[in-house]
Amino acid sequence: MPDLGFRENVMGPQPIGKVVVVPAEMTAALDALMRALMSGDRGAAEAITEPQVLEDLRQIANAIAPGVYDKYELVGRARIGQHFFNKVRLTGAKPMTIQFRLGMNGERWTVREATNLTGRRSGWSK
Amino acid sequence: MQRMISVDKLARPENHILLPVQKSRAVRAEQGLAPNNPMPYEDDFLKARLHGICAGEFQAMEAAGRTLYDFPDAPWEFQLDMARQVWDESRHAEIYMKLLEYVGSYYGEFPEGEVLWSCTQAEDPAARVAGINRGLEGLACDVFEQMIRLAQRMGDEVIERSIDYVLADEITHVRMGSKWMRKLTEGDPERLKKAQAFQDQIDEIFNFGGGRTTVENAAQIKQRVGGKEFNIDDRITIAREARLLAGFTEEEIDRLVKGFGKSGAY
Repeated sequence: MPDLGFRENVMGPQPIGKVVVVPAEMTAALDALMRALMSGDRGAAEAITEPQVLEDLRQIANAIAPGVYDKYELVGRARIGQHFFNKVRLTGAKPMTIQFRLGMNGERWTVREATNLTGRRSGWSK
Repeated sequence: MQRMISVDKLARPENHILLPVQKSRAVRAEQGLAPNNPMPYEDDFLKARLHGICAGEFQAMEAAGRTLYDFPDAPWEFQLDMARQVWDESRHAEIYMKLLEYVGSYYGEFPEGEVLWSCTQAEDPAARVAGINRGLEGLACDVFEQMIRLAQRMGDEVIERSIDYVLADEITHVRMGSKWMRKLTEGDPERLKKAQAFQDQIDEIFNFGGGRTTVENAAQIKQRVGGKEFNIDDRITIAREARLLAGFTEEEIDRLVKGFGKSGAY
């Protein structure tokens, strides 16, 4: 967050709304997904992916050569309702940027959307 | 530098999540939420509404700057008005960022959509100001007036006064748009017609299929923010008084209420 300056002259307790904390289980599910993709364990990656997203996930998995990437970083995160968008970058010789949307299915966090943003200017690009 | 910058060329920090509006709607629908907008019964209503407005202020700032850059041969007074608007919108963006923090959010908590920027894609300055200053800023008058009433019911003077301050500027932006749409098309009825048609398209987009209503006719539903419960409108209303102050005619406002979206120049 940028420094928004002196605000103690604003009266009353702040913030007035509840801050939404990113669920630790969602972060753990994302981490498991990324480790599975980097190590080439497709079964583990597909196990937490909704059926309608499997094809997109497989294309992304095809683009990730096993063993080439051993690190990823979270570049950005946002949410709509209870679904979280996670923009991650695989670092290595040929960096990849991928965006995963995770939501809850029963007790589990699952992948609802997988978009390869590598080479695209932004999520607005067609 | 490139002129007439397209939607996907708009730059953003890498940590922002940018999402086409159709996708946002699909994600909302997938969770059983109303697709178009965060609704008052949602926990995120206030945050998401302020976030959407904040994104709008950023894009409005960029739009006015782009208009200034894209039309270097426009009259000097036009350029001055656009420069002034850039400055106004930048202050608005800052105000809404602070309001987001005030309600427990931050800019970037939700994805940013491209729909407002897509409304800037006109190659004639007259159409550009008709669309942005009259169409989008007219919508801003509606949304802000509603938020001010909401804040009044919440008893929250911080939100009420902050948005009232911004609304005062938006009214001047609409007037600027009306003035320049008329002035730039003087003696050229065909050009005026095209500018109006561009604004009509934008009014249609944000009319949500006639899904808006007057303040008087809006159904009231309960909402809870910060431990308080109060009634608010169930949809975006049309701010007749603010629009009249901004120079829209009664006829134009009536047409918007009826969902036609057609605007006459005056």
